[in-house]
Amino acid sequence: MKRERDRRKAETAAATGKLKIWEEGQPQADAGMDELFAVLGYKVKSSDMAVVANKLEQLEMAMVTTMEDGISHLSTDTIHYNPSDLSGWVESLLTELSSTSSFDVIPQQIGVPGESSSNLISFSDDKPIHQNRKVIYDYDLRAIPGAAICRSGNEDENPNHEPYSVIKRHRSSPGSEFLDNASLAAARPAVLVDSQETGVRLVHSLMACAEAVQRDNMKLADALVKYVGILAVSQVGAMRKVATYFAEALARRIYKIYPQDSLESSYSDVLQIHFYESCPYLKFAHFTANQAILEAFAGANRVHVIDFSLKQGMQWPALMQALALRPGGPPEFRLTGVGPPQPDNTDALQQVGWKLAQLAETIGLEFKFRGFVANSLADLDASMLDVKSNNLEVVAVNSVFELHRLLARPGGIDKVLNSIKAMNPKIVSIVEQEANHNGNVFLDRFNESLHYYSTIFDSLESSGSTQPNSEDFVMTEVYLGRQICNVVACEGPDRIERHETLSQWRGRMNSAGFDPVHLGSNAFKQASMLLALFAGGDGYRVEENDGSLMLGWHTRPLIATSAWQLKPRRVDRVDWVSQLQLSHDFLGESNPLKPLTATTKSAISELV
Amino acid sequence: MAKFCINDNVDVLIEVLKRLDDRSLGVAACVCKTWCSLTRNDSFWEHMCFRQLSPPPEGVRAVVVALGGYRRLYICCVKPVREVREFNRVWTRHEMELSLSLFCVDYYERVLLGGGGGSGGGRLGSDSAASASLMLLCKAVNV
Repeated sequence: MKRERDRRKAETAAATGKLKIWEEGQPQADAGMDELFAVLGYKVKSSDMAVVANKLEQLEMAMVTTMEDGISHLSTDTIHYNPSDLSGWVESLLTELSSTSSFDVIPQQIGVPGESSSNLISFSDDKPIHQNRKVIYDYDLRAIPGAAICRSGNEDENPNHEPYSVIKRHRSSPGSEFLDNASLAAARPAVLVDSQETGVRLVHSLMACAEAVQRDNMKLADALVKYVGILAVSQVGAMRKVATYFAEALARRIYKIYPQDSLESSYSDVLQIHFYESCPYLKFAHFTANQAILEAFAGANRVHVIDFSLKQGMQWPALMQALALRPGGPPEFRLTGVGPPQPDNTDALQQVGWKLAQLAETIGLEFKFRGFVANSLADLDASMLDVKSNNLEVVAVNSVFELHRLLARPGGIDKVLNSIKAMNPKIVSIVEQEANHNGNVFLDRFNESLHYYSTIFDSLESSGSTQPNSEDFVMTEVYLGRQICNVVACEGPDRIERHETLSQWRGRMNSAGFDPVHLGSNAFKQASMLLALFAGGDGYRVEENDGSLMLGWHTRPLIATSAWQLKPRRVDRVDWVSQLQLSHDFLGESNPLKPLTATTKSAISELV
Repeated sequence: MAKFCINDNVDVLIEVLKRLDDRSLGVAACVCKTWCSLTRNDSFWEHMCFRQLSPPPEGVRAVVVALGGYRRLYICCVKPVREVREFNRVWTRHEMELSLSLFCVDYYERVLLGGGGGSGGGRLGSDSAASASLMLLCKAVNV
C-alpha cells in the first residue's frame, strides 16, 4: 500500500524518486487518529497529518542530499518503537542530520489513490511472511488468504502481537529508482502489486468477513471489515462502490447498528425514479408486464388494473397510450393503486391518480382511479378493492418488486395470493429480482448478493460512462445500497429484501393455484428493441425462459417477468359432474342413454 | 415571361419540402420566414415519422398532437430509434408503437411529474428538449 511504501521510503536511502505523500483529507471520527495508520499500528492524529507528511518529506530530502555522509545506518538500523509519536520520531531523525539548510519542501498531494495507476509499490504477493520483512498486525490478517482461499477454518482467536510494527528493510543500492517494475531484482524486497490483485484480495476479504460473521467470530470480523475498508479505497469504479456498500452493511451487522426503517416512502419513490432513468431494468419490467396485460385485455370494453406497487405511476402511461390507440377503440380504464402511508399524511396516491387522469384526458381515454393505503399488502382484502364481477370488467393484477417483501412474515404471501385469487384476475403480472437472497444461511445469502449487486453495478458503470456523476447514477447507487444493507445487515421481519428466483416463484404460484401464461414474441421483440436503444446496450441480454422473460447483464439474469392466470376452478368440475347427474335424472327411464352406473360416475370424477 | 418564384407557389414548395430528410428540412427552415413557418407545420413531421409505414390507425394524430406534436415525437423518439437501427431498414409497426409509448412516458414525466416533487428541475440535464427518461436515447450510442 502506498502508505507503507511512503514510510519505508523515508527509512531507506534509496528514495530518489519524489516523495509523494498522500494526505488524508478529513479527520476521521476515530478519536482523531488516522484510521488507516492506526490499523497498521501507528497512531497519528489526523490533524497532525500535514505536519508529519512535511517532516517525512524533509527527512527524505535530507537523506538524499546527505547520503554520502554515512547516514545509511538510518535505512538498516532504524526501528521505530513508539508508534504514538510518529512526528516526534521523524523530527529526531531530522535533527540527527546536519540539516542547517532549509529545504524547499513542497508537499505533494496526490489525488485519491483509487485513481492512481497500477504501478504502485506495495505489499508483496500473497506470501504472508516475506524473508526480508516481518510485518505484524494487531490481528493476524494472514488468516485472510488462508481462510478465503483454502477454507481451512483457521479463524482462531489471534495471538497477541505487539501493537506496533517492526519494519526492517534491506538497504537498496543508492541511486536506484525503485518505482520501476521492470527493474526489480530478486534481492530487492519491494515488490509490485497492482490494483487487480488488491481487487482479488478485497473479494476474498469480504467473503472471509462474512464467514467470520456466520461463525459468530465478531473480533475477526471486525478486523476484516476494517481491512476491507482500506482495500476498498484503492479500487476504482464499480468494485469500489460494491465493496464499500457491503463493508458498511457488514459493519452494521457486526456492531448491531441496524438501519432505521424510516424509509420515507416519498424518498424511496424518488430513488426508484432515478433507478428507472439510469438503467433499463425497471423499464424492461414495465414494458413486458404491460404487454402481457395488453394482450389479456384484448377485446374487453372495461378493464381494471390493480397495481400493488403504484409509486409514481411510471408504468401506466405506456399502457394507457397503447389502450387509447388500440385497433377497435379504447376501453374504459380503471386503476386501483396500493401504496404505503406517507409520514406527512399527504395523499400521494391521489396525486399520482390525478396526474394519470390528466394524461388520460389528453390522450382520450376514459379513466377512473382509486388509491389504497396499506402498510403491507397482507392487510388488503379483495372485498375492499371493489372488484366487479367477471362479465362487467376484466381484471389484471400487477406487482413489480413487491411480493418478496411479504416473505418476511409467515403467512403473508399466502394471504396475498389468496386475495389475488379472490379478485378473479384474468392475468397476474409479476416482476421480481432473479436471485436467491432468502436462504437460511447468512453466508450463502451474502455470496449470492455480492455477485448479484456486483453485476448490477458493473452494468451501471458501463452504460453510465458518458455521465458517471449525474444525479441519476448517484441516487441509483444509493437505492441499490439500501437494498444491500437490508439483505446483509437485517434479520427477521426487518429483512424485507427477500428476493427469490423465478423457479422458486414458479413453485409458489403453482401450489397456490396459478398457471403460467407465456409472454409471447411481441413482448420479446419490444424488450429487445428497448434495450437496443440504451447506450451500452450490447451488454444487456433478454432471455426467454419457458414463457417468462429475463433481463440480464452478459450471462447473468437479473430481473424476471412472468405472467399468471388462475387455474380452472375445481368447483366447476364438480358442478359439471352433478349437472350430468341431474340431466340423467331429469330424462328419466325413457332416456335412451344408460343411467350412470357407479363405476361410470367414479370414472368421470377421476377424469375431472 | 414572369419570373418563377417558389414562394408564390406554396403548394409546389410543400411538395418539394415533403421529400426532404430531417436535416435538410432543418436547413430549409433557416432560409426565410416563409419557409420557417412552413416547416414548423406538423404535417411534415408526421410524414417524416410515418413515411415508411402504411397509414397509421385513426386517432394516432389526435394523441400525438396532444402529447406534443409530431415534430417533438420525431426529434425525441423516432430519430434516435432510427439512428440505432441499420440504415435503410424498414421502419416497422413495432418500432412505431415503442416510440409512441416512450413518447407518452416522456410527456408524463415532462409535464406531469417534472413540476412537482423533490426530483424536479435538476433532473433535466443538458438537453432541454427531452426528459431524463429519454436522455439515454438522445445520446449518441458509443458502443
